[in-house]
Amino acid sequence: MDEVDKILIHSLRLSGTQVPEEVQSLQEFTTELIVESVVRCLRVIHPSLGTSLSHVLPPGMSARFRIGTSLAQACQELGYQAEVGYQTFLYSSVPEIRRLLLFLVEKLPRDDAEDARQPAGKSAGLLRAIAAKIKEELGTPWVPPACRTPRLQRLQGTCLLKPFHAHPLVLPRDSGPVERREFFGGFLPPVPAQPPRPGTVAPSLLERHVGDLGAQHDWEADWQSQGLASRLPPKEYVQWKHQRLRRRLLDQLRQAAPPHDTAGPPQPGARDLAELLSAGGAGGPLAKGSRFSHAQRLAHDQELVGQMQAVVETLVSSKTSEQEVQARQEEELAGLRGELQRLEAEMDAVGGEVKVLELSLSQAEAGLRQQRLALGGREQTLQVKSRALELLPQAENNLAKLQLLVESSAQRLVHLAAQWETRRGPLVDQYRHLRAARHSCQLESTRRVSEIQALHERGRSAATEARRKEELCRQLLTELESLPKDVSRAAYTQRILEIVGNIRKQKEEITKILSATRALQKEINSLTGKLDRTFAVTDELVFKDAKRDESVRKAYKYLAALHENCSQLIQTIEDAGAIQREIRDLEEQIESEGAKKTLANLERILSDYRALRQENAALLGRSRDP
Amino acid sequence: MELSEYVQSGLQILADSGCFSPSAYTVLLQTAFQSLLNAQADQVALDHPVLKHIDPTVLKHCHAAAATCILEAGKHKADKSAISTCLEDCKFDRERIEQFCTEYQKNKDTLELILGSIGRCPLHLTDASWRLEYQIKTNQLHKTYRPAYLVTLNVENNDSRSHPDVSFSCTMEQLQDLVGKLKDAAKSLERASQM
Repeated sequence: MDEVDKILIHSLRLSGTQVPEEVQSLQEFTTELIVESVVRCLRVIHPSLGTSLSHVLPPGMSARFRIGTSLAQACQELGYQAEVGYQTFLYSSVPEIRRLLLFLVEKLPRDDAEDARQPAGKSAGLLRAIAAKIKEELGTPWVPPACRTPRLQRLQGTCLLKPFHAHPLVLPRDSGPVERREFFGGFLPPVPAQPPRPGTVAPSLLERHVGDLGAQHDWEADWQSQGLASRLPPKEYVQWKHQRLRRRLLDQLRQAAPPHDTAGPPQPGARDLAELLSAGGAGGPLAKGSRFSHAQRLAHDQELVGQMQAVVETLVSSKTSEQEVQARQEEELAGLRGELQRLEAEMDAVGGEVKVLELSLSQAEAGLRQQRLALGGREQTLQVKSRALELLPQAENNLAKLQLLVESSAQRLVHLAAQWETRRGPLVDQYRHLRAARHSCQLESTRRVSEIQALHERGRSAATEARRKEELCRQLLTELESLPKDVSRAAYTQRILEIVGNIRKQKEEITKILSATRALQKEINSLTGKLDRTFAVTDELVFKDAKRDESVRKAYKYLAALHENCSQLIQTIEDAGAIQREIRDLEEQIESEGAKKTLANLERILSDYRALRQENAALLGRSRDP
Repeated sequence: MELSEYVQSGLQILADSGCFSPSAYTVLLQTAFQSLLNAQADQVALDHPVLKHIDPTVLKHCHAAAATCILEAGKHKADKSAISTCLEDCKFDRERIEQFCTEYQKNKDTLELILGSIGRCPLHLTDASWRLEYQIKTNQLHKTYRPAYLVTLNVENNDSRSHPDVSFSCTMEQLQDLVGKLKDAAKSLERASQM
């Protein structure tokens, strides 16, 4: 029974009961422990049944009885066949409790228990890690700032924290134009030295890396979804995308911007926009140098600005603040302004004139073109007419000649048509053939593309699956390490198999004994029959002789007595056997009754009864008091 | 742990024993760690004599890649197996992986400190002091007889930034409310750690 108890206690621990370590068998279970384990099992099996019950035994006797009764009822509702009542829990006997707990443990939902121990994925792992971290930090005592180690300072202080501040980095690479490579090799500081403040190295590197990774993922997703379907090599696909984007941008801009006056000068912004667009078209994600060139341009601009500032400063310093000079300057300025205005007005007037002249010029050009067209038409008609005039003098002759010419040309045309037909037939055939081939090629390529996509998809899913499995494996390994080592399933199964083997052996022995008993019975029966027959024969023989001889009559009397005594003896032996069996039965009963701890239970019942009466009396007294 | 194309190409060059001899590899690895961990070292020394014969562009590329890889490993709290799978993908041989891992283990704590120091958090309290004020009357009221608590919360100060202490006055109910809120917070923290 030790094995059974161990398994039972193990499953009870799994169901949430706090069984103390020193409890090794059911005999050591106290009433509180029994009630707690039964309630925990009930909660796991049937939450609605178990939640209404408390797993702690209340101090009051009547409440205890109530709990016992409701527990018994719950067990019966679950389908427990044997007798169960409050006494099962409060005045327990080991076999009954064992039977009840076995029933409950078998009812425990097995799959759920296994599922609950499965790791529930990434988020659960993260939550667990967070919980562990919080626990750890709660466990460390607070230390005054002056005595902290750097690690403690990170946990409990603020002063080491720096905000996340990233700087753009220039990553050197071994490609691109010679000048750039020269710059990378000779002048660019190493990447960790690029940020101006030392504390920003890590954030800058991290941000840059995350940005690169994100761009890579975007490109991969785009290529997988659209790039493969477009059937272009990656570079051409990128170019195509750029062109499309540019076209769409231009369209949008054209729609958004109001149509300009075509006669007016082009807006200064429009050219810049076109430049901007062309620059945007040349740059883009694959043109990696653009960032660098941009930076260079920026630097150049800054240089210019610096020079200008220097010039302005020198001007300011040289300026002597004399009013005279100032007045003269102002005068000059006013004069210059007037000049400028005059010039501007002049320019406007000249511009208007130019515009008018341009307009008239274009008009004149259009007129010229029209005139030229008319001239061409007239020249043609003149040629035809002059030709006809030449042919007029020998009209008939010429007519016949012309007819001949016409016929011959018609014949030639027919001939050419026939020839064309002969050529055209095979060409058309070839064309159809080629078209069909192209079509099949296209089909093939679509098939290939879809195959490639499927392969990509499969590869990606396999990779994610592998990663997930690895993660799971690691989690399970850590969990396995954290699990207690003493409970081994294999050992249990092996022991169960051993027990089954033993039972089989015992069964064989029992059958052997049974057959032996049967053989013995048969022998006894045959012997009894033989005895009866022998006795009948002897009886007859002796009885025949007994009438004649006195001594034989005496012998017959002895024979009868012997037979009777022997049968009596057999009877007595059988009776003794029956009594012995009965004695053994009774002994067993005594043992089982003794195991029920009747005396102790009776005493407990008596004390509980007394407690109950006291409680009742107290309640009565309380109800009588106002 | 996933690395970008740039970092991977840099690591592949670094793994190539034709380009980086074992001693050059060691020097570059240590330089990469130093450039991340020693905030004071302004000048990153890539002018070691062992590295003289390597193209400076390649050298800088590998240096940046190694530094990024180290940072990413720290960010993901990668263990040895994760790092070695990642480096195996970049064609590192066993010896170099081993060297990388030992160096990483050596500097792991400092790296974690550096990564952990990025960010911001609310002020930390170091102390609290209070006194009781009893108001008998005000300009407007003849008698008020109301107690109030003057609480001062001392904020952790250090030389780089100094924050004034937080002080406020509150009635008894408000103070009780505050204490209740604090207890609630402590309890929910406790509950979160029980998961």
